[in-house]
Amino acid sequence: MRVNRLLLIVLFLPALARAAIVQQNVHPGINAQAEYLAGKRDKPALLVLHGFLQTREFPTVTTLARGLHDSGYTVLTPTLSLLIPNRSQSLACEAVHMHRLEDDLAELSHWIAWLKKQGHRQIILMGHSFGSLQLLAYLSDKPDQSVKGFIGASLIEAQVGKASRQALITQLKNRVRQGNRALVTYPLSYCKSYTSSPEGILSYAYWDQAHLLEVLRRSPVDIRLIMGTADSMVGSGWLRSLQNRRIPMVVITGANHFMDGTHEFDLLEHTLGMLDEMSSNARP
Amino acid sequence: MRWSASFTIRQVALAVVAGFLVLASLIGWYAAYQTRAVTHNLEQHSLKAASAEISAAVQRLSSLIEEQGSNLAEWDETRQQILTPEYYAYWQSERLYVSGMISEPHSTAALYNRSGTLLAPAVDTSGSPRELPAGYHPFQTNDWLVNESGTIVLYHLFPVFNDTQRQMLIGYGLVRTDFMQALRKQGQFYFADQDSISVPLQPGETIGISRLFTRLKYGVRSNPDQQRFQSILTQTMLALFLLLLVMVLLGSFIYSRLLVRPMRRLSDDINAMQQGRFMPGPLRQESMRIKELEHIRRSLHDYQLQLRELHGSLELQNQEFHSQARHDALTGCHNRRAYEEDWEKFQQDTQASPQGVAFLLFDCDRFKTINDTYGHAKGDRVLTIVADQLLLALRANDRLYRIGGDEFATFMSYTTTFQAKQIAQRCQSLIDASSFTDLGIKEPVSISIGIAFCAADHVDRIGDLPKQADIAMYTAKQPGRKPVAVYGEDTDRSAQTLVASRETSALFQALATPGMIEMHYQPIHALPGRQVDYYEALARIRHAGEIIMPGAFLPVVSSRRLEADFDLAVLQQIDADLSSGLFPPGRGVSINLSAQSISRPDILSQLMELSRHSTRHRLTLEITETSLITQMMEVKKHLEMLQSEHHFCIAMDDFGTGYSPLRYLVDLPVDVIKFDISLVSTLDEGDRASQVVADFARMMSDVGYELVAEGVETESVLQKVESLGFAHVQGYLLGRPTPLAQLGAQTAQATGSADPG
Repeated sequence: MRVNRLLLIVLFLPALARAAIVQQNVHPGINAQAEYLAGKRDKPALLVLHGFLQTREFPTVTTLARGLHDSGYTVLTPTLSLLIPNRSQSLACEAVHMHRLEDDLAELSHWIAWLKKQGHRQIILMGHSFGSLQLLAYLSDKPDQSVKGFIGASLIEAQVGKASRQALITQLKNRVRQGNRALVTYPLSYCKSYTSSPEGILSYAYWDQAHLLEVLRRSPVDIRLIMGTADSMVGSGWLRSLQNRRIPMVVITGANHFMDGTHEFDLLEHTLGMLDEMSSNARP
Repeated sequence: MRWSASFTIRQVALAVVAGFLVLASLIGWYAAYQTRAVTHNLEQHSLKAASAEISAAVQRLSSLIEEQGSNLAEWDETRQQILTPEYYAYWQSERLYVSGMISEPHSTAALYNRSGTLLAPAVDTSGSPRELPAGYHPFQTNDWLVNESGTIVLYHLFPVFNDTQRQMLIGYGLVRTDFMQALRKQGQFYFADQDSISVPLQPGETIGISRLFTRLKYGVRSNPDQQRFQSILTQTMLALFLLLLVMVLLGSFIYSRLLVRPMRRLSDDINAMQQGRFMPGPLRQESMRIKELEHIRRSLHDYQLQLRELHGSLELQNQEFHSQARHDALTGCHNRRAYEEDWEKFQQDTQASPQGVAFLLFDCDRFKTINDTYGHAKGDRVLTIVADQLLLALRANDRLYRIGGDEFATFMSYTTTFQAKQIAQRCQSLIDASSFTDLGIKEPVSISIGIAFCAADHVDRIGDLPKQADIAMYTAKQPGRKPVAVYGEDTDRSAQTLVASRETSALFQALATPGMIEMHYQPIHALPGRQVDYYEALARIRHAGEIIMPGAFLPVVSSRRLEADFDLAVLQQIDADLSSGLFPPGRGVSINLSAQSISRPDILSQLMELSRHSTRHRLTLEITETSLITQMMEVKKHLEMLQSEHHFCIAMDDFGTGYSPLRYLVDLPVDVIKFDISLVSTLDEGDRASQVVADFARMMSDVGYELVAEGVETESVLQKVESLGFAHVQGYLLGRPTPLAQLGAQTAQATGSADPG
């Protein structure tokens, strides 16, 4: 029944959609692009952020954005520049990574501001994977008032491999403090050889599971999580940790980290359900 | 050689072989020509293919580099490096290759800022120039080749924009490639010689990529497939040629063995058959492998065998015919034809190889009498026995020829007169030893043999031997002669000459010409008055003015069996003489007549015609006792008829020398007995023989026979015969034979002298 409804949406509503590529100067000399899918004005606008080093063209993001937009929601899917002008390609782990989490958050601020400028007063942030981490990082640092909610799909911490995170952080801090800007290569997230400036990787290294749980606990907005039971990217105790902390969360049985295949519909359906819940909660 | 002329099968075979060889040569030449053409085409194709191959490789390389440049231009990290080149060294040395943006190991890349200056010249390891060369198009890709220290480097310059609309130029990228190394990596060159590819540029010389093909040099790789194809084609053609050659030779050999040789053999056989040299040996019986030829060979062989059999049969028949033609059917000895042929050859051989030769002529004595008396069957048997005995007596290699009725001959080589005489004596002995009494023949059968000899130094006269032997033989036949006579030893010179030539012809001429026989008359005197009572007519032949005596021509008469003809001529001449009036009137005539003539009708007719003179002249017929009277009764009848009806007196001539005088006296109506001179001459000797003769004469006289003594040449003999009662006497003592013309005168003279006396 749900599937049939989604099919009707996919087949008949695209004519109503209005899509545009939006370009913003997010850093000096660096432009970034986002796709803006205008929806119904009475519905909150969603900023859907891609995962680690990906772009808005990532399939999970694209499908989700299309589905949300087809459901009447305005959707903005930016591509973080990662300090690369007009970045349009996923960035390799081995590429020179000079961007920091702060740079990502600045860009998110730009895009939220841009949404507000478009007249959207209710903005819900939705991230996938590392994008959820980056959005939580934004929420943890004076988020805009128009941001009313957060939905994180396949939320994951900044994994640094098997080495001690604290030792890594210490080492990187020392480099930063010493002004040593030589590139370093460490595991980060799914990258086994993430090549970055020391301050760049250091900015992400703080975000472990505990830090995320704390940010979730202290979130100023309504938060929801959608996780998959077959997500092999996340640690085995992460779901249990989230459940233990009573984080509102939907766990899709059998869905992996990318929630692809038929789980794309589950993701959309649960997201729409969460959005409905958030809308109900937001009404006076 | 004219085209219409026929060819031998060998020539045809050689022509076919030559044709095949020419054809093989033409095929070989055509194959070589085609091979060269194909090779040339393949070379041209290889050249074009090499050009296309290199062009394609260059195009691939260009496309690859252009794609690399395009990828680099669109790559986010390129823009990142141009704007924030802090980590450019890492990016250039590692990131470019790890990312796969530069896949060629012989390529490097470098980034330039918008003004064309290398981003980080201090750390740049690409080998690219610090500044972009002047003249490049800022918004397009640029490609050029440059010789950098012997290395041909291909540069690909591309602009890098900060926006997708390609409006914001932020710098340039330059891909540097070792052109030759990269080109050689563009796949396997099958046609172009990879090592020969070069772009001959001067050091530092730069050319645009569009001029590359004007400077590109390359060679064509030797195509192993082409070489293999050419090698296979050459080997195939050579093998084909050799195969064709072998097939031609093999075909020629088979053709020669199966067709040429058998057909030549057949041709040779046919030629041999035509020339009569065909001998069916084992080679000719060897079968042929071609069925039709074998059929011809068998047919020819069978035909030849049949022909040979037929030929052999004909040969045998011819030999038999030849033998029959050369042999006497009665005696089995060679006949006259063989004699003539062999004698001709014998003469030639003897003249070619001179040697002493002898010619022997045999003749049965009185054979006609025997034949007439005992019949032809016994006569033939006598001849057979005589021939057998003669053959037995002759030498092994001597041939006996029957050249006449009872006449045989032989000629001997390497002999002498003595040997010939010995052989003749042996013949005589064997004949004498033969018994003819079984045949009922009471008379002795004898032969006369004439021998003529020619010494080795006189072989040019060998042609005279038959005549000489003939003379010798008739010499032997003469009464009182030895039965074997050798020409030159036993023959008279006159006989030799008369019989030999002139006289023989004179005889035949005389028989044909009345008047040539001239009768001489010898007086026969009556006793005791000694007056001429009658004359014995003695024949002479006058020829060329000369008188030929009886001793010369009588043997010829006898040998030619001319007794009757001669007697007839004599009777006619006597008739003429008696009719001439010259013959003394009242004188009788005694006429010699052979016993064989008595039975001849023409003789009898002539005697009866002559009898008309009997009224004026006493006619006496003298039958010689030496001639054998075979048909006694018939002769007797005729003599009696002549005696009684025509008044002829019958006289027995030459009494005492013949075979059966007493029988003749008994059987024949004899009136007169003429004692032979051999008996008469004994009377003068006074011995016992004379006594016997005298007693016999008295006895004959006593029984009434009128006796005549012949050959009285002395007075004593005359008186003796007169005393013995002889009625008449004849001899030179009283008168010689005289021609008719002189006979009258002599008679008148005698009469005159007598009358007065």
